[in-house]
Amino acid sequence: MLLIKQLFFGILLPALVGGGIFVIARSLSPKAYATARYEKEENGLTGWLIAAALGVGYIVGYLGLEGLPAFLPKLGTHWLFYLAIIGLIVARFWHRAVWGPIAQIAISIIIPRLLLTSTFKHTWGPIEGIIWWVCLAVVIFIIWHLVEQSFSALPSGASSPFVYFGLSGGTALILALSGSLRLAQHCGILVALFAASWILTLSLQRDRKRFVFPRGASPVMTLLLIGIWMNGYFFAEVPAVSAILLMISPLLAQVGRIAAVQELGTRRSTVVQIAAIALPVVIAIGIAVIRSGLFGDNNGY
Amino acid sequence: MKTDLGRTRQISYIGGLVLALLIIGFTGSTQLADAADTYEIDTAHSMILFRAKHNSIAYNYGRFNEFTGKITMDATDISKSMVEFEVKTASVDTANEKRDQHLRSPDFFSAKQFPVITFKSTKVNMKEGAEDVLAVTGDLELLGVKKSITVDVEITGKGKGRQGESLIGFESTFTINRSEFGMTYGVGGPVSDDIGLIVSIEAKQE
Repeated sequence: MLLIKQLFFGILLPALVGGGIFVIARSLSPKAYATARYEKEENGLTGWLIAAALGVGYIVGYLGLEGLPAFLPKLGTHWLFYLAIIGLIVARFWHRAVWGPIAQIAISIIIPRLLLTSTFKHTWGPIEGIIWWVCLAVVIFIIWHLVEQSFSALPSGASSPFVYFGLSGGTALILALSGSLRLAQHCGILVALFAASWILTLSLQRDRKRFVFPRGASPVMTLLLIGIWMNGYFFAEVPAVSAILLMISPLLAQVGRIAAVQELGTRRSTVVQIAAIALPVVIAIGIAVIRSGLFGDNNGY
Repeated sequence: MKTDLGRTRQISYIGGLVLALLIIGFTGSTQLADAADTYEIDTAHSMILFRAKHNSIAYNYGRFNEFTGKITMDATDISKSMVEFEVKTASVDTANEKRDQHLRSPDFFSAKQFPVITFKSTKVNMKEGAEDVLAVTGDLELLGVKKSITVDVEITGKGKGRQGESLIGFESTFTINRSEFGMTYGVGGPVSDDIGLIVSIEAKQE
């Protein structure tokens, strides 16, 4: 009974809600990709609706699995709910020249301090804490940039949602192997949302609208992925190497910009890009499998 | 001359009386201070056990191997007594390493985020109608959530140790609902919400 409830609230319901918003956004978007009108729409309500499909879908899944989190948040997982809300707010004015970067810098700085309050208190000394804080803020800022850049580096169509479906799926698997099924469930909500947008993009291809994630989707996607990765590394037992490999995988979308890869043709270069992104994720999973002792003697309880 | 002598005697009587009162007062306050004895928990002879029902079928037991605590017992006024505990969540032990790892994860104790469970008493009374049983009310903090609980604590014994030190023993059995502290994973499924606890303490006078 519990499993059915978890599958419904953690997978099906977010996919339906997120998918519904996604379809609305796609129906409102202009047909021609990379045109002035497309740019305008991407920065407007249509672009924000894609972020809303992911953000609202995640919030629905969170409420179904956990209920309303405490305010102020106590657990690391509570922050995921609020990060989705922050992402949705930032996504609305992400395209603005001044406020977008200011929000990105401010959030990159604030998140480590909020999410890791207890680690600052119990684990790190003052100097160690400041070093970690600075490093994490820089890492979050860079990852945010990488996620955003990956949208334009990946070919239009279903490849973007597919890549993030794979990345969140790999993360969910690593979290489950690293001892936190709860965090894996949270990542499972993202898997369901990216799967829904991937399937819907494939099925809506006939309308000739070439889909790419709008830039405004990056706050929601980055904040949720970062929140889950930080929870996994700092509070669960995700191996450090696996965490780093997951974080650098969006960078490898830039492989598509290499001239030699572009010369392979659209289909082949897409395969190369996806393979390059998948490689660190697969290695990260392998490391987590070895560390988990899944195939050892003490493999269950 | 007589008058002066009388005055001198009078002053010396008053001085003696003040001195006597001071001595009595000092002795009295020393006795009061002695009435509140402080004990430190002897972890080698103490145990914090818990049990949870697995799949609504059988009770599984576990323990915490590392904890510290202090007890102040005031025999003359028990309401002035105090209890303080600190339990290290990472020391959870259910005799299965894989399960212990899961219990330390964010699904349960989130030991990295919340390294300790604390209890600090706010009220101690003798339980009415029961001999050697205290009603201890205090704040239990688990997963960053602080809740007031009241538990019965039986004084199981008093005596002297091998080196002549004063020892005292306590035991308390009570139940908490883990979901009230935000530990909701698996509730209604494989792991019961209500967790039984047995806290058995031997403490040594400082």
